[in-house]
Amino acid sequence: MHYSEIPKTLVYLDPGSGSIILQLILAAILGIGVFVRVQWSRIKSLFGRKDNNDDDKE
Amino acid sequence: MMIKNRELLGGSFRDPSGFLFTYEGVLYRQVNQIYKQDYDLLFASGLYEKLAEKRLLVSHTEADVEAADPETVYKVIQPKRLPFISHPYEWCFSQIKDAALTTLRIQKIALRHGMSLKDASAYNIQFHQGKPLLVDTLSFETHRDGEPWTAYRQFCQHFLAPLALMAKRDVRLSQLLRVYIDGIPLDLASRLLPPSSRLNLGLLTHIHLHARAHIRYAGKDVKSAHKNRRMSRESLLALIEHLEGTVKKLEWNPAGTEWAEYYSITNYSNAAFDHKKEIIAQWMKRTSASSVWDLGANNGEFSRIASQLEIPTIAFDIDPAAVEKNYRKIKQNKETNLLPLLLDLTNPSPALGWDNQERTSLLERGPAEMVFSLALIHHLAISNNVPLERIAKFMSRVTSKWLIIEFVPKSDSQVKKLLANRQDIFDHYDQHEFERSFNLFFTIQEKSAIRESDRTVYLMKNESA
Repeated sequence: MHYSEIPKTLVYLDPGSGSIILQLILAAILGIGVFVRVQWSRIKSLFGRKDNNDDDKE
Repeated sequence: MMIKNRELLGGSFRDPSGFLFTYEGVLYRQVNQIYKQDYDLLFASGLYEKLAEKRLLVSHTEADVEAADPETVYKVIQPKRLPFISHPYEWCFSQIKDAALTTLRIQKIALRHGMSLKDASAYNIQFHQGKPLLVDTLSFETHRDGEPWTAYRQFCQHFLAPLALMAKRDVRLSQLLRVYIDGIPLDLASRLLPPSSRLNLGLLTHIHLHARAHIRYAGKDVKSAHKNRRMSRESLLALIEHLEGTVKKLEWNPAGTEWAEYYSITNYSNAAFDHKKEIIAQWMKRTSASSVWDLGANNGEFSRIASQLEIPTIAFDIDPAAVEKNYRKIKQNKETNLLPLLLDLTNPSPALGWDNQERTSLLERGPAEMVFSLALIHHLAISNNVPLERIAKFMSRVTSKWLIIEFVPKSDSQVKKLLANRQDIFDHYDQHEFERSFNLFFTIQEKSAIRESDRTVYLMKNESA
């Protein structure tokens, strides 16, 4: 489902058009980093290493 | 339509999800129908429980009182009331930094529960028992996959811009938060930051480019122009982590300010220092006050006499370095009853914002049951030329019961220093006039000369309250 099809929740702040654009650009750049990180943790998990030091994760 | 006898809080009107009100002195939060879905998801997703377990969100109970606005109400809740509400321009560097990191940590946890922070206001964070706490239960919305973070700009204005300016330019620039109630405008932050800040990838992106994007896309409908571009949850998490890394790298260390090394250069002997502590400890036990404001607390040496008796204590000081040192000590020792805050007593925090009611003044947040005014009076009377009678009157407004005040005479080397290069226009600054002025508002219960010094400390009771 495309995100525009999900019912709107209450947004009272003006996110700012510049902030939206910048985030969408960053999403593309950061997405590469995310991809690399996911692949890397897959490789690491092949060797049985767990990568979880964040105590906020369940 | 509003019901009578409900008092709406001045700072609680922007978000249509609900609002705060008081009824018979108790604080309540009305949750509106319009917010029902998100409110229910907060519990159904397990997010509330998770945040409560980590003490990151203020706890509440559902209340059985009539709503302030029955036409729009979904539920009325009673949040745990905090002893004191502080404002971000009263925080030291590390307090703003910890508040920022807590906001991002909460956002990460929220995203894992299918929710997202819909605002990232610094005013939603309070320091409770030594740690930052989110106090707005209605800050969460259902996360819509693909959407960018609505509160990104607010986070940068409320947290990143002041922290960057404090770390890279001057720590006093936190005071811009007092002028700009919705955080420091990014174009202003960008102009004030040194050019070298552009070499910091985080600041380059989230402040400098962010500011330029605002100017370039102002008023343009970017949502429909870019409707096919999405921000995946992973990318959003990566953005939050990037902000986190940027904030973590910002550092400021207290050194070289006026008071940072105060106790090592003071004219006090060890015997005098210990004697003063002894007297105050005795009087604290005798008065059993339930709240203490230590005015001019420096790094909180004397405030701790009160906080260690488990009395909620606020250590106010004008010097960002002293407040910073105090806060770091609290963190290190996991102290729970002490809150250090930045305050210029000659110009205390005013009432600010819409209708002058959004952010309360210092006096509106008092009085305390006990006020300490130690080694302070000469700064008010001589450095700031305030007549003794006016100082006495001010003190009678900030304490409802007790005042422990130290008189520092002209013979004291600290006063001599203040008078070294200026004309002594303070003919009435002596102990006799001090007692006469304070007797107009207080009764002197006890007085004690401090050993090995010319100073006297008084225990007074407010008779005007």
